[in-house]
Amino acid sequence: MGGVEDDEPASKRMKLACRELKGNPNDSLLSEPSFGSSRDLMARLLQSEEDEVIGSKGVIKKVEFVQIIAKALYSLGYKKSGAHLEEESGIPLHSSAVNMFMHQILDGNWGESVATLHSIGLKDESTVKSASFLILEQKFFELLDGGKVMDALKTLRTEIAHLCASSNQLRELSSNLVSFSHGASVGSSNQVNLRAKSRPKLLQELQELLPPTIMVPERRLEQLVEQALTLQRDACVFHNSLDREISLYTDHQCGRDQIPSRTLQVGTNGEVSLKHKLSGHHKPVSSVSWSSDDGKLLTCGVEESVRCWDVSSGECLHVYEKSGPGLVSCGWSPDGKSIFSGVNDRSICMWDLDGKEVENWKGQRTLRISDLEITRDGKQIMSIFKETAILLFDREAKSERVIEEDQTITSFSLSRDNRYLLVNLVGPEIHLWNIDGDINLVAKYKGHKRTRFVIKSCFGGSEQAFVASGSEDSQVYIWHRGSEELIGKLSGHSGSVNCVSWNPVNPHMLASASDDGTIRIWGLNSHLQQHKKLQQVHSNGGSMAAAYNGRT
Amino acid sequence: MGRLFVVNLEGKIYSCKHCRTHLALCEDIVSKVSFHSRHGKAYLFSKVVNVTMGEKEERMMMTGRHTVVDIFCVGCGSIVGWKYETAHEKAQKYKEGKSVLERFKVSGPDGSSYWANHEVSQHVGGSDADDV
Repeated sequence: MGGVEDDEPASKRMKLACRELKGNPNDSLLSEPSFGSSRDLMARLLQSEEDEVIGSKGVIKKVEFVQIIAKALYSLGYKKSGAHLEEESGIPLHSSAVNMFMHQILDGNWGESVATLHSIGLKDESTVKSASFLILEQKFFELLDGGKVMDALKTLRTEIAHLCASSNQLRELSSNLVSFSHGASVGSSNQVNLRAKSRPKLLQELQELLPPTIMVPERRLEQLVEQALTLQRDACVFHNSLDREISLYTDHQCGRDQIPSRTLQVGTNGEVSLKHKLSGHHKPVSSVSWSSDDGKLLTCGVEESVRCWDVSSGECLHVYEKSGPGLVSCGWSPDGKSIFSGVNDRSICMWDLDGKEVENWKGQRTLRISDLEITRDGKQIMSIFKETAILLFDREAKSERVIEEDQTITSFSLSRDNRYLLVNLVGPEIHLWNIDGDINLVAKYKGHKRTRFVIKSCFGGSEQAFVASGSEDSQVYIWHRGSEELIGKLSGHSGSVNCVSWNPVNPHMLASASDDGTIRIWGLNSHLQQHKKLQQVHSNGGSMAAAYNGRT
Repeated sequence: MGRLFVVNLEGKIYSCKHCRTHLALCEDIVSKVSFHSRHGKAYLFSKVVNVTMGEKEERMMMTGRHTVVDIFCVGCGSIVGWKYETAHEKAQKYKEGKSVLERFKVSGPDGSSYWANHEVSQHVGGSDADDV
């Protein structure tokens, strides 16, 4: 009989049990440093648990799981809970060597901490070297701050020098010596600034340096939870909220109620009303472009001219044209000081606001049917230059990139972050291309109908997570951008829907224009209209070339 | 109406007689002599643009059974010819994917038009006859 009561603390019971098992009082186990010994015993006895897994899929290692929980408890400030967890589970957060190391750092036992570093179980020599350097650098600065210049110099020479990654590093440290002595001779020591960081800060830096198997990284549990939430959010095809409310209690899954699905308004009598009718073009208007401050609007009459209008007054500020060739597209420079335009002789030209032609890029750069897009930094100009290809040329670097398609391109649009291009093809099919860095095809969207007209599509919704397009079957199609899934078909129009525009500031509002001669505003299908923030439709939201055949 | 999407061709162009929409290039003609329609001559082209397609139909032609679709000009909607989807006889496979434009329905590269040849109208509409 052991003679130990059942309500004795667990650690004591284990210790006694161990002695009984081993039987030898001079056993090396017992001569371990008293600090953390009971935990050590537990850890060794529970060796078999090291491979234990938990969770329904059997991929979570129990030891790791408990350790990151303990770490989280400590980070949250619950030291007692953290310690209790370590004891109760028998799974120490850190090995005894690491615990010792941590204490040595905080106590300033530099030499000992470096020694411990070597026995901590690091496989990578360079890590040992970098960590040693950090520790001794701390020692150096603390000595300096304490006024012990000679000691600091000795440390630098004998201990640090061979650890320096470069001679620059050594020189930098040496310069501290010089400036210190200089400072000391000039004024009192009060004026010298503390160079050494705090010891907890040093510990944190060391923690980041050491591999996660030695020291569990800070906030690992938080990181894992955030990863899961991000994955859930990305997988949620209807996610279109302005608020960032995701609960941990259940997997995040929005309902369809966040996607515009109901007609709020037909025509221009309603909350969205007709502001101006801009007359002046003699040919159909093919495209419009808003200035970045939404104060001006450019319109292009096909193979005719480009007109600039003042949005608030409706007045035509300027007409841009060339004698001879007609203009086919238009776009603002982001600084609002220049106008770009595609010409039907395939060139692209640039004017200043007064109408003076500033530049002309000749060669095959655009087609009569092309859209024109300019990036927000004003550097890249994009247009359809061949039946199946889009040209992206950087006017500053004078370099060109090309997107090659396998079908004829009808139109395209640029994402707000300028990293993606949405290309409409005759198919009909919509292709999403990444143009940031390497050009590559990211996604394809299908389902809508097109045989005769230019049907436009656009990005939209919260984080531009959706793609919307018109269709010749009179419906508005909405896909979830990431998953390519068709999530909505909005019915209501009685003619081909030629273009759509998603409100850039209200992710719950969409506008569409149709051959039935109307514009429809779409919104959420909720009875409780809590988000009735719609007071004023942001001008950019209405950027649609609604009148193709008309002249206004 | 929405904005028509039309491809603009360069070179010697055959275009729709009614609305001048470009339809095909001279260089894409595969055969000028072998095809006839109700209205007379028709040319086989390897590539035709700015057309929409009708429903698939099985048609018995002089050279055998074919699956064809009628093709219509996107500009005005008038029928301009047909396209071979499938040829059921091996010897006719070369026609698959190619389109026939009726000479009567198009304006030639020099702007010329063609008047229906009434003698040929005895054929069943849309048939073709291959000269050996």
